[in-house]
Amino acid sequence: MTRSAELLPENVDSAVDLAGIPLRNPVLTASGTFGYGAEFSPFLDLTRIGGFVAKSLTLEPRFGNPPPRIAEAPSALLNAISLENVGVEAFVREKLPALPEGVTIIASIFETSIEGYGEVAKRLTGVPRVAGLEVNASCPHVEAGGIEFGQSPSVLAELVRTVRRSTDVPLLVKLSPNVTSISEMAKVCEAEGADGISLINAVQALEVDVETRRPVLANRLGGLSGPAIRPIALRMVWQAAQAVSIPICGIGGIASAEDAVKFLLCGATAVQVGTSNYLNPAVAGEIADGIVAYAARHGFAKVAELTGALLDPVGPPQS
Amino acid sequence: MVKTPRSPSGPGEPVPEPLRAGATVLEVLDEGGANRRIRVRVEGWPGFAAGQFVMIGAGPVMAAPRTDPLLPRPMAIYREIDGSGSPDLEILFKVGGRGTALLSEARAGDVVSLVGPLGTPFPGAIPGEQAILVGGGTGVASIYQLARERTRVRDGSVSVLFGARSAGDLMGVDDFEALDAVAVSIATEDGSRGSSGLVTDLLAAALADGIDSSRARVYACGPVGMMRRAAEVAKTHGIGCVVSLENHMACGFGVCLGCAAPLSAGGFGLVCREGPVFDAEAVAWEGLP
Ligand SMILES: Cc1cc2nc3c(=O)[nH]c(=O)nc-3n(C[C@H](O)[C@H](O)[C@H](O)COP(=O)(O)OP(=O)(O)OC[C@H]3O[C@@H](n4cnc5c(N)ncnc54)[C@H](O)[C@@H]3O)c2cc1C
Ligand SMILES: Cc1cc2nc3c(=O)[nH]c(=O)nc-3n(C[C@H](O)[C@H](O)[C@H](O)COP(=O)(O)O)c2cc1C
Ligand code: FES
Repeated sequence: MTRSAELLPENVDSAVDLAGIPLRNPVLTASGTFGYGAEFSPFLDLTRIGGFVAKSLTLEPRFGNPPPRIAEAPSALLNAISLENVGVEAFVREKLPALPEGVTIIASIFETSIEGYGEVAKRLTGVPRVAGLEVNASCPHVEAGGIEFGQSPSVLAELVRTVRRSTDVPLLVKLSPNVTSISEMAKVCEAEGADGISLINAVQALEVDVETRRPVLANRLGGLSGPAIRPIALRMVWQAAQAVSIPICGIGGIASAEDAVKFLLCGATAVQVGTSNYLNPAVAGEIADGIVAYAARHGFAKVAELTGALLDPVGPPQS
Repeated sequence: MVKTPRSPSGPGEPVPEPLRAGATVLEVLDEGGANRRIRVRVEGWPGFAAGQFVMIGAGPVMAAPRTDPLLPRPMAIYREIDGSGSPDLEILFKVGGRGTALLSEARAGDVVSLVGPLGTPFPGAIPGEQAILVGGGTGVASIYQLARERTRVRDGSVSVLFGARSAGDLMGVDDFEALDAVAVSIATEDGSRGSSGLVTDLLAAALADGIDSSRARVYACGPVGMMRRAAEVAKTHGIGCVVSLENHMACGFGVCLGCAAPLSAGGFGLVCREGPVFDAEAVAWEGLP
């Protein structure tokens, strides 16, 4: 399908539907990189973006890891923050009311047990401002010896099943990239009733200081994010899009509208901007505008038509 | 959002709302050794309070986006200087790694990304305050504005103690000496300027010299070991100590949770938001890297 006629940006419909969550445009911001939203109001009109995913919540407030928690890596950030968050009660009572009307909010949940995830999901169900839930499956599963929930198909299946039973709000499952087959994990989520999937979370990584001969992070291992992981994330989104028919939210190293469009073309319905928010707290708004400009330039009357519009002369993709 | 006045200096006054801007580089001056002074112009700069900082891009914005080094660098706002219309900003920094090396190569007219002013400023002075400011290495950049403001405290006094490895590492000494009514002392580890030894030894000597502990307060910024020692020295004389921490940061405005410092009351404080200024007693020093 080639398109020729250019359109004016104001004639492009930017709205998308992500797993039953109506978004004004396909640009969300990623959990853990956007705080609880209000921190960005000096820099960005929050109604300019599709919405945001709040920092992952546990049942009780939690502290994170000792410092150093972050380090720079080539075109990337390495972090080991762990579970630090205000807890679900404070989120509902203090953080949500601080946000202006018209901002689409997706709450993210994590816990160290499957039952814990179910409890947090229940607590957030029926809360008026919460448009959807995202299950962060990149959390160490204590019972399973610390491997991530999202690293075992059977554990992931049980997790999604439990959360699905606990809530009727639109449910996204955020996948860990630290797996052999992302397609298999995507299928598990679809089979257990997830409305959509988000990928990827940070890539497990290690960095060392040769002068001190120590790992740079106190936690030793951390999650790599930022531009360095973008092609890995794009590959995984492309593979997951072949495997499932539920919508996909693409995440990983997005720094520009061009980056975001790549994810849409590879099958994502929406995207999340993460680490780039730290470098430029207004970047998500600029990306939203840039996607519309791209659609106009290429003659797409609806941004939603960009999803899966990759031209692939080689034929059906190999998994 | 409430508009706030420029450069608040009293306790409890609201700090200006931060902005994100492309700052235009006016000049980068060689201050000797690895030290540099960068002057930038920020359209709409809202002012700042002593102790606040900015996140500044690791080098100028290029025609093609650069992703490496990725993170902006936290830098104290050294002072404002007269600009056209609104004041220009001055930052003193030391070239250490790649980000500061790129920043040192910026030329007049280049644009660097900037977010600020950020962080919680120094507290207001106690009545008649005898302020003893201790700056180790680049830490002196965080206390210039404070020294300037404390000279206006009625019946107060200001002394600034500089510490550096060697004479060539000292920054800003002339600016501090040019301030009225500020007593400057210097210690270098190799004895190449001022007294030979650590700046905390200078502090111990200054406090042993008879000081009114009810009016004295120590302010310290520099390496963790230096700040910790300064706080101990102050405490043995029954004097309070305020420190400005320099943890690694990714965002600078409270969202990445990367800059957390362990607190003596348990848990963590965000250096970029609750800090960088902390009461030394509130910090769990043994947990700081
Ligand atoms: C609130 C605050 C105010 C500061 N004010 C000044 C100032 O006025 N003048 C000045 O010269 N320096 C100041 N620093 C320290 C300055 O941020 C570092 O020297 C600088 O980030 C090093 O960058 P680089 O590219 O040289 O080093 P690299 O080694 O390339 O840096 C790699 C990463 O580590 C971080 N990092 C390395 N050293 C430090 C450090 N000492 N503190 C914090 N982060 C570090 C960098 O920000 C970057 O993310 C301040 C730090 C903080 C937190
Ligand atoms: C400091 C930091 C904290 C994060 N915290 C969370 C979190 O709480 N929950 C979550 O699902 N993802 C978290 N993430 C992962 C991001 O949401 C995102 O999936 C990842 O960073 C990749 O996107 P990016 O390259 O655009 O940053 C965090 C990432 C960073 C850098
Ligand atoms: S630097 Fe990001 S929270 Fe402090």
